[in-house]
Amino acid sequence: MRPGKLLRLARGNLARELGPLAVSAGGVALGIGCLVFFLALGAGLTGLVHELFPVGTRELEVVVPQLVLLGETKLDDAAVERLRKIPGVAEAYPKLSLKIPAVTRYNGLFFGREIHMGLEVIGVGIAPELVAGEVRMPFADQGEDKPIPVVVSRRLLELYNKVFAPQRGLPTLSDSMLIGFQFPIELGRSYIAAKTLPNAFSSSFQLVGFSDRATFAGVSMPLAVVRRLNEHFGQPGDAYSSVLVRAQSSEQMVQVAAAVRRLGFELDESERNRALQISAAVELVTVGLSLLAALITALAAVNTAQAFYASVRERKREIGVLRAVGATQADVALVLLAEAALTGLAGGVVGIGLARAAGALLDRLSRTGLPDFPFKPATFFHFEPRHMLLGVLVALAAALVGAFFPARAAARLDPAKALTET
Amino acid sequence: MTAISLRAIRKRYPAREPGEGAQELFAGLDLEVQRGEFVAIEGQSGSGKSSLLHISGGLDRSYQGEARVLGHDLAKLSDLALSSLRHLQIGFIFQSFNLLPGLTALENTLLPDYFGDGIPGAGKRAREALARVGLEGKARARPAALSGGERQRVAIARALLAQPPLLLADEPTGNLDAQTGEGVIDLFRELHQGGMTLVIVTHEARVSRAASRVLLLREGRLSAPARDPLQFPEPGAGR
Repeated sequence: MRPGKLLRLARGNLARELGPLAVSAGGVALGIGCLVFFLALGAGLTGLVHELFPVGTRELEVVVPQLVLLGETKLDDAAVERLRKIPGVAEAYPKLSLKIPAVTRYNGLFFGREIHMGLEVIGVGIAPELVAGEVRMPFADQGEDKPIPVVVSRRLLELYNKVFAPQRGLPTLSDSMLIGFQFPIELGRSYIAAKTLPNAFSSSFQLVGFSDRATFAGVSMPLAVVRRLNEHFGQPGDAYSSVLVRAQSSEQMVQVAAAVRRLGFELDESERNRALQISAAVELVTVGLSLLAALITALAAVNTAQAFYASVRERKREIGVLRAVGATQADVALVLLAEAALTGLAGGVVGIGLARAAGALLDRLSRTGLPDFPFKPATFFHFEPRHMLLGVLVALAAALVGAFFPARAAARLDPAKALTET
Repeated sequence: MTAISLRAIRKRYPAREPGEGAQELFAGLDLEVQRGEFVAIEGQSGSGKSSLLHISGGLDRSYQGEARVLGHDLAKLSDLALSSLRHLQIGFIFQSFNLLPGLTALENTLLPDYFGDGIPGAGKRAREALARVGLEGKARARPAALSGGERQRVAIARALLAQPPLLLADEPTGNLDAQTGEGVIDLFRELHQGGMTLVIVTHEARVSRAASRVLLLREGRLSAPARDPLQFPEPGAGR
C-alpha cells in the first residue's frame, strides 16, 4: 500500500469520525501541551540561573588550599606560568585582592537627585585582557593622580535598579548612563573598622564598563592599580589571591582541573556549585513535571486505544469491505495506524500551540501582575525546537501505541464475519 | 474452463447457546461454475447463500473440503496471495452496498486502487465505470447524498474497477426499487455477454430469470429448482 493512498484513505475515514477522535486528539494535546510547557519552563529557568550565576564552561577559578601541611603554596608569577603550561590550558589570568580598606562618600547630585551616601568598597584587581571586549574606556593604570578605572558586575547594576533605587527613590540607570561616571574614593579608610591607615589618601573611581567577569560584591580594577595600592600601604607580596584558568575547550576541563590539583592548588567552585545546585533543582522539578505530563500522555494513549477499539467495533463491515476489495491484514492495520498517526500529529501540534499560548499568557501576567524584582526575566520560557520535535514525536508514539492493539484486532477480523455482523 | 469448483464443502457454526450442538450449514456441498456462466443461487434466509459466496470469494476460510477458484486452491493461498486474488480477479457486490461514508463516489469506486500495487489506469477506469452505471455526474457526491440505487451502482462500479473475470453478488437488488433493480439486472446481462462469470445469490425471480443457470441451496446442498427448464436459457447463452 502506497503512503499517499494510505494517508488519503485515513484522512477520509477521520473526516467522519471527528467527534470521537477529537476526544483522543484532545487527550494527546493536553499531555503534549503539559510536556512542552514544563520542558520550556525548565529550559527558561535554567537559562535564568545561568544568567544569575554565569559560569564559563571552560573556566576554573584556582585558589591556594586553606590548609597546607608541608611547605608553602602560593599563587605567584611562577605558579601562573606553571598553570599556563598545563596541557589544554589556553590562558591563565591572575587576580589580586585590594588588601586595604576603602570607602566611598558621595555627597551631591546623582543623576538629578541629591544624595548623601557612604559605602565600604571591596576591590579586586584583574587582568585587563579578561574584560577587553566589554570595557568602553581604557582599563589600565593611568597613574596616581588620575581616576582609577573600574569595571562593575551587571548583576550589581540589576540589584541597584530593582532593589536599591526603588527603596531610596533613586533613578534607575542603564549601562550607557554610567559609563564615564566618577565617584570619590578614600583609600586606607574603613567605616566598619572605624580606622584610617597612616598613608590614607583620596582618589576617584571611573566606571569604564560592565562585565559578568567583574567581582559581584565590589569593583574590579586593573591588576597593576591594585598592586600599586597594596605596595603604597606596605602590603607588597608577590602572591595573587586567585587565578582564572581558561581551558582550550570544555572537553578538556576535567583533565585541566586534575592537573591543577596535582600542582597543589584548589578550585574555588562555590559559584559553579551554586549554579549547578540550582540547575539540578530546576532539572529535578522539570523531570518530575515532565513525568506527570508523560502520565497524562499515557492516559491519552489508553483513551486512544478505547476510541479505536470502539471505532473498530463500529466499522467491522467496512473492514470486511476493505478485505473484499484486496486489502491484506497488514493493510487494514496500516489504515488504522495511519488514522492514529494523523490523530496524534494533530494532538501534538495543538498541544504545542496550547503550551506556547499558556507560556505567553503567564509571561504577560508576570509582566503586568508581578512586582519588578531583580533579574526578573522578560520570559520564563524557552521553547526549543527540540522540545517541540519531542512533543510531536511523543504525540505520534502515544497515538500509535494506543492504536496498536485495536489495529491488530482489526487486521485479525474474519472478513466474512465482519461483513455479516452488525 | 472452471471458474469455481467447490467439492465436499462442509461448514459448521459453533453452538449459539450452551447445551446446543454445532449447526451444520454445508454437509458435503459441491458446485461447479464454468467460466462465462451466469449462475443464480436461490435459497431461504439462513440457508447459507452468503456463506457459499464468502467461501467462493476467499473471504471465509473456516470450512472443510476443496475450494478452487480461477485455478487456485484457496486453502493453500497465503493472506497476501488471497488478497491479491480478491483484488484483481474477483469483484464483490453486497446487498447493503457497503460504501465507505467518508469517501466520495469516485473515491469509493477507486477503493481497490488503494491496495496492493494499485490498478493500472485506475482514475480513467473509475470514471468509465461510473459512466457505465450512469453516475458520471455524481463522482464527487458522498454516499449520504446518494439514493439506494445510486449507492448500489457505485458499489457495482467499484467491483468492476479491476475488470475482474469473476463477479460475486449477494442480493444485489434486495434493497432496490423495481426500476433500479431492472437497470442493475440489465447491467449483469451486459457483463455476462462480455464474458464475465457471475454468481449471484438472490431471492428475486427477475434476477434468476437473467441467469444462465439457477441453483437452489437447501439443507446444505445445491440442486436445480423445480421449475420449467424452458423458462431459462441455455448455460453461457446470456440474454
